[in-house]
Amino acid sequence: MEYCIKIQLTVFAMGLPFLDSFFAAAGRGVWHADELGLADAQVVATGHAALDAELPGGGWPVGAMTELLQAAPEAHVWRLLLPALAQAVQARGGPVVLVGPPFEPCGPSLAAQGLPVEALMWVRSEAPAARLWACEQALRCADVAAVVAWLPQARVAELRRLQLAAAQHELLLFVCRPDSVALSASPARLRLRTDRCEADASQIALHILKRRGPPLASPVMLPARNERMAALLAAARVRRKLRLQQQGTVVEAGETATSAKVVRIDAWKGGPGALDRLAVAT
Amino acid sequence: MHWIALRWLLDDAGTPEGPVLPTPEAIGWWALRYTPHVAWQDEALMLEVSACERLWGGRLQLMRLLLADNPAPDARMLGTQGATSLIALARLRLFAREEKRPQDVPAGLPLDTLSAARAHLDLLARLGCRTWGDVASLPRGGLTRRFGAELRDALDAAWGLRPESHAWLTLPDVFEQKLELPALAETAPELMWSANRLLASLQLWLRARQRGARALELQWTLDLKRFNGVNLPPHQQVTVRTAEPTQDMAHLRRLISEKLALTTLSAPASWLRLRTLETDPWAGASTSFLPEDNRKGDRLHEMVERLSVRLGPSQVLVPSAQADHRPERKQAWRPALHKDKAPPDKARRQAQAAASQPDAIYPPWLLPEPLRLEMDGERPCYRGTLSRLVGPQRVEAGWWGDKEEGGQPAMRDYYVAESPEAGLVWIFRERPAARFSSGEVRWYLQGFYA
Repeated sequence: MEYCIKIQLTVFAMGLPFLDSFFAAAGRGVWHADELGLADAQVVATGHAALDAELPGGGWPVGAMTELLQAAPEAHVWRLLLPALAQAVQARGGPVVLVGPPFEPCGPSLAAQGLPVEALMWVRSEAPAARLWACEQALRCADVAAVVAWLPQARVAELRRLQLAAAQHELLLFVCRPDSVALSASPARLRLRTDRCEADASQIALHILKRRGPPLASPVMLPARNERMAALLAAARVRRKLRLQQQGTVVEAGETATSAKVVRIDAWKGGPGALDRLAVAT
Repeated sequence: MHWIALRWLLDDAGTPEGPVLPTPEAIGWWALRYTPHVAWQDEALMLEVSACERLWGGRLQLMRLLLADNPAPDARMLGTQGATSLIALARLRLFAREEKRPQDVPAGLPLDTLSAARAHLDLLARLGCRTWGDVASLPRGGLTRRFGAELRDALDAAWGLRPESHAWLTLPDVFEQKLELPALAETAPELMWSANRLLASLQLWLRARQRGARALELQWTLDLKRFNGVNLPPHQQVTVRTAEPTQDMAHLRRLISEKLALTTLSAPASWLRLRTLETDPWAGASTSFLPEDNRKGDRLHEMVERLSVRLGPSQVLVPSAQADHRPERKQAWRPALHKDKAPPDKARRQAQAAASQPDAIYPPWLLPEPLRLEMDGERPCYRGTLSRLVGPQRVEAGWWGDKEEGGQPAMRDYYVAESPEAGLVWIFRERPAARFSSGEVRWYLQGFYA
């Protein structure tokens, strides 16, 4: 019966100009599964252009759960989330609540990358139920900027409750889980799995498991180290090569000169970055 | 003089689980908001409003306000007015019995609505007196001799011929109320039901006093002096504190119930007492029309207090930057509950300067304790042999310290190393001073770059 009506409507639409515009307008509100969806809520840019291009709306969704699946609980979290967390803290002014992080977050390092030390709050509880409860309480708080939770044992119903709380209070919520749950169902709107790139250790391979859009064939590659660390490593490599040359030994084939590219960083001049200087000077 | 008499009727009074009225004092505190002259007379709350009725927009408007602002929403609130307190009370009693009021007040009021005449109702009825007017027309001397001075005085007061005297209610400086539990409480959460009643009273007191509560003490009396061969103290108590003064009972109720859930009663409890320890002047809340200012949800201190009460204060931590070169001491994690309100400006600026140094070489994750690494000949191992990439960075600090400061000087050479499995890690080689040297080189893992 419905099909008949639709067909009739289409037939009418061929002839009637005003219905053409109606169909065009209706088409705009429809998301086709083969194109990247639009965010229906606010997003926060991830700070990585390559990743932004693949996410619906161009950033982490605010008011929805984002799931990070990783083999090691500590891996790549800050590299992926730090720019967005720093933005959220600047915009909302509240703390970032870390529920059950695997290790102690190092304030000076995070502060150097834009997340002030005062904007951290560490809830350390081991019991899964207490973590879930703390996570929900943090989501219900108006002053919190974002919640990052490590919930290795959470079930779907519990995650759904967190997702609803995040949607109700419009917060950034990141849940880190082991990558063994990649095949199970999840209420998260966005699911990512991080892998170390086998070919190049300085890259993260980011598989987007679930998003509003077509499935991603090849993983998104992101640099695994921040610019300063990459510069430091490059400088160390150049220095080692020079030393080897001075000693007259043959440069090993693996350490090609092309991969060693020194990146100049202006902060060397300003700040008391003794460590960076040390890496270049000696 | 103009009096308003108020009374609260519960539909299903007497059932143990049914709604309960706030304590009489608390209702009196509520009424003090409208007039300074409030007293309990028998079963009714009397308000003398002649001096303040214009402030509230007239008698009718005041009655409407009172009825709309019922302090016990579960109960039906009755209110009547009269020129004297006895007339208002008599009309209230008629109203409660759903009888029509007589034409001429006070002379036509039935005699059983006068408290002073209740003892003599039979005799007066046999004398043919059914209304106040009947008794008032009896000869004064004989009436006083036969029934005592009390009845005649009451009638004089009802007609406004004698001044009335009342024990006016006043607001105490400190809230303190005791309540007997409906049944002996065996476990701490059972106290919550009665604590709710006390909290409702506290809210009325806070509103009348224009104050916000910062610290409360809930105390219960133990019913046994000795239990299992152990002498018991007469009382046990929990103390609840909140960072900002509040009149919001929902937050205090949650804090108390979380505290009670962690408490065990050493014996059954019979009485409950709530006392304010600290109160602050209540400033009220400033509101804004901007949508981003009106984000729904709890306030930060409420969340922190709730988490700290249930998980323990040492589980909810905030960092503060410290001036030290040892990485494990560059930040101190303190309980978020005891966060200083506003650190001094200078100290904060110093801390910010310390924190904003370009410390890119520090790893974002620190191990709580440095992990001793196993050695593969000369090279340390952590999930595979480590290859040193950047370093050394030499740290010599802590020589001034005593036991709490770390025990011995930290003399370390830090390296960024790469592990085939774990990626970049931050390791250090302990460089023992010459006189402590045992010749052994020890490597430790202190952080992860991830």
